[in-house]
Amino acid sequence: MLEAHAFEPEFLRRLDRLVLGVRRSRTVRAGQRTIGRVQGLGIEPENFKEYAEGDDLRFLDWNAYARLDDLLIRTYRAERQVEITVMIDASASMAMPARDDKFGLARALAATFAYIGMAENDAVRMISFSARRDGARLKVTPFYRRREQYQSYKPFLAELKCEGETRLSAAVSEMLLQRRPAGVVMLISDFLVNQTDFEEAMLHLLGTHQEVKLVHVMGEMESEGSYPPGLYRIRDSESGEIREVAFGPELAAACRSRVAAIAERIREFCLSHAIVYAQAFGARHFDAILERELPVMGVIR
Amino acid sequence: MGLLNLNHLLWGISIAILLAIYLRSRSRPTIEVSSLLLFDEAAAPAARVRHLRIDPLFWLEMAMLAALTLALGGLYIRTTRGAARGRNRALVFDLAAGMGAREGRGTRLDAAKKQALAIVNSASPRDRFSIIGYALDAEMIHPETSNRDAIRRAIAGLKPMAVPARRAAQSSALMRARAANDVELFADRRPPDSIISDAGLGSTVSFHQSGAPAENVAMVSLDPGIVLSTRGRAVLKNFGQKPRTCELAIETAGKEIFNQTLVLAPREQVMVAFGPLTTGGMIDARILTGDALAADNDRYAYAAVDRAARVLLLSPDATVRDDLARVLLAESGSFIIASADPAKFHSDERYALAVMHDCYVADVKADSTLLIYPPPSSADRVRGLLITGTTPSAMMTNQGRIDASATPTLLGSTRTLSVPEWMTAKATGTAPGAHEMIALAASGALSSGQFGVIAFDVRNHLLLDPDRLDALVATVDLIRELTAPPLLHIVATGTFLAIPAPDDAQVTAPDGSIVATSRDEWGRLRLRPVEPGDYTIESASGNYHVYANYYDAFESDLTALAVPSSPEPKKPDHELRSAASPKQVQPLAAILIAFAAIALILESGLLMRSARRWRMGHV
Repeated sequence: MLEAHAFEPEFLRRLDRLVLGVRRSRTVRAGQRTIGRVQGLGIEPENFKEYAEGDDLRFLDWNAYARLDDLLIRTYRAERQVEITVMIDASASMAMPARDDKFGLARALAATFAYIGMAENDAVRMISFSARRDGARLKVTPFYRRREQYQSYKPFLAELKCEGETRLSAAVSEMLLQRRPAGVVMLISDFLVNQTDFEEAMLHLLGTHQEVKLVHVMGEMESEGSYPPGLYRIRDSESGEIREVAFGPELAAACRSRVAAIAERIREFCLSHAIVYAQAFGARHFDAILERELPVMGVIR
Repeated sequence: MGLLNLNHLLWGISIAILLAIYLRSRSRPTIEVSSLLLFDEAAAPAARVRHLRIDPLFWLEMAMLAALTLALGGLYIRTTRGAARGRNRALVFDLAAGMGAREGRGTRLDAAKKQALAIVNSASPRDRFSIIGYALDAEMIHPETSNRDAIRRAIAGLKPMAVPARRAAQSSALMRARAANDVELFADRRPPDSIISDAGLGSTVSFHQSGAPAENVAMVSLDPGIVLSTRGRAVLKNFGQKPRTCELAIETAGKEIFNQTLVLAPREQVMVAFGPLTTGGMIDARILTGDALAADNDRYAYAAVDRAARVLLLSPDATVRDDLARVLLAESGSFIIASADPAKFHSDERYALAVMHDCYVADVKADSTLLIYPPPSSADRVRGLLITGTTPSAMMTNQGRIDASATPTLLGSTRTLSVPEWMTAKATGTAPGAHEMIALAASGALSSGQFGVIAFDVRNHLLLDPDRLDALVATVDLIRELTAPPLLHIVATGTFLAIPAPDDAQVTAPDGSIVATSRDEWGRLRLRPVEPGDYTIESASGNYHVYANYYDAFESDLTALAVPSSPEPKKPDHELRSAASPKQVQPLAAILIAFAAIALILESGLLMRSARRWRMGHV
């Protein structure tokens, strides 16, 4: 399976020097535990500055005052508090077509992003989501910060099974209900949901100041419509709805057109809402996808 | 509509196979896809589900297989031939003696002719007629034709014969009319239902009754007695339902020797004695009173001239010689019989009749020879006669009489004969456990004389056994035939007669018509008299006379117009329907095969068109 590839040492060596770029790391929100490179509580001294009214007297450098008779305030580099959440769509649609190993690709990507996210000891967790009749069902890992803990994701990913429906908004709501701090949310899905559900979920994430990165995963067969020609009865893996189709060149073209339309619609939404959007079509092209899409996802060397 | 061969419907399994293939192709495999959202733009018709779609190729194949299956099953319909083609109509005439009965100015056959002519004249011009007659045998008198004049001439030429109508001939005539759409049967009595059903006609039989019950007195038999010894006997029967007066006259050599008027009670049969005759020769007994049927009013008999005839009797068995001598003397007391053991016999005298039992002496001079239980070594002495073996016993089932129904007679050891063509089997039977008929008595004539053969052994007083009287009758008949005057034959009408003659001859029938006849390869003139009376055969070597007598109890009974039939519901007199449907069976095999061929061609055309569209040239 492709996710196993993400845990191979050779592959991980290629990722060792990669760091996940976080746009909000430069935003300063003094006095808050925010993400980014900010002055504040910390253990790593950064600089000195003259005291100004209103500065916290706890940071006054009394030794410098005694020696130089100047009031200097010691500044520290605040601890990074970037929480990276990698959400994996574990609905039934991710397992279809089985030959495409779409879910394997999704898990491999999730592991890759987690590994890269842990490059600077950021807290990284994984969440798989699917929906049942009784609501969204999330499987959540603890936050891991060090790469030594990377292997802890392996059993989680291996045990994931595709089942249920895709309800993005419900999954996002459930996730935010458990923990609201802003962070980076990397959402890996085939996004075969209705547009309303998709937009509602995205807006919800953006509303909680999450930095959202989407990875649109599709299988090669389904994106190309390259099913074996002939008359078939197709069943929706999530809804169970059945239709009769005649696979062939015409239907393949229709499928390609439909996939392109869905992707384009997502891309436009992401563009208009400052959401990073990347495409990962075809597990066979995993390496190429990483090479092409990692920069898009803000991964820097 | 029906099927001629239901077993061939098993070919219909091919239809089931085709249907199974079709349904299997319809049962699309189900595959699971991530979401139907990806197939929103798929063509809508592909999603529809129908149990039977409009698939021209499938339906054409189905039609082709169904047509071929029905063709193999022999699908047919019952139709009547189209009026545009006209109808085949068979006119079947009874030509037996009963149809010669007079009614008013004409005969029953004349009335039937009028009815037939009326049918012919009123028929559609497209109708075709055929004429079939029957009495002793069925005969196609005129084949199917639409030529009205030919049909009218053929009808006019029909004549009744003084012979009885045999049921087999009637059935055969109706069978010959099978191809006709309508069968018009003209007869004086209604045929039994079994004959109609057995004929297997596919059409309606319209029965036209000719004549009404009529009075008739018939001469049943005539026995001249023994000249100057015993009285002769004439038997007469009144077939009418009323007392009837009739005048009986008997002549010999043109001189009336007896004349008596009799009153016969209804259905009475009387025996009239006359004589004894003072001279021998031909006797002609006539009923002078006119009645409906004249054919049975005249009868001939031959009173043998009391002359000493020498008869040689040879047998290795003394008791057989004794038995045969008794039979010969009973037949004619004037026979001078010389009997001897063949091993000790030697004589140069000439005999009128030589009877040889279980032996054959070649140098016997005789006008006629009767071989009884001949040894196999004698076969090559008689021309063409073969003795193929001996059976320990045999059953005499038929003595050669018309419609004989005698009880089979068990005989002793019997030679198996192969009778040559010039001989006529007079009695037949079967060997135990065998079905083939063997000749038990036969006779014939060659220029060298007359020959008779009796195949069964007459040892153990067979001829004197009252339980085996038929054996005696067959023997006596042969003796009479062999001792009869060679230039005189008295036969029943309808009998085939073979007369040895040195030259071709001409035959003058009782009605005055003259017919030239030729000898066959055996040097015989063949004749079948169908009219009662004197047939004169004139040849260079002399004149022969054949006297034909007619009497048939069934045919002479003109009051019996209905034939007893099975106790089924009586059908209308005028129209009798055969057991089969009157409609014609019309097989549809050719039409179905043509239909299948058209379906195949259409299917091929559609396939080629589709192949061209899909650019699959190999198709």
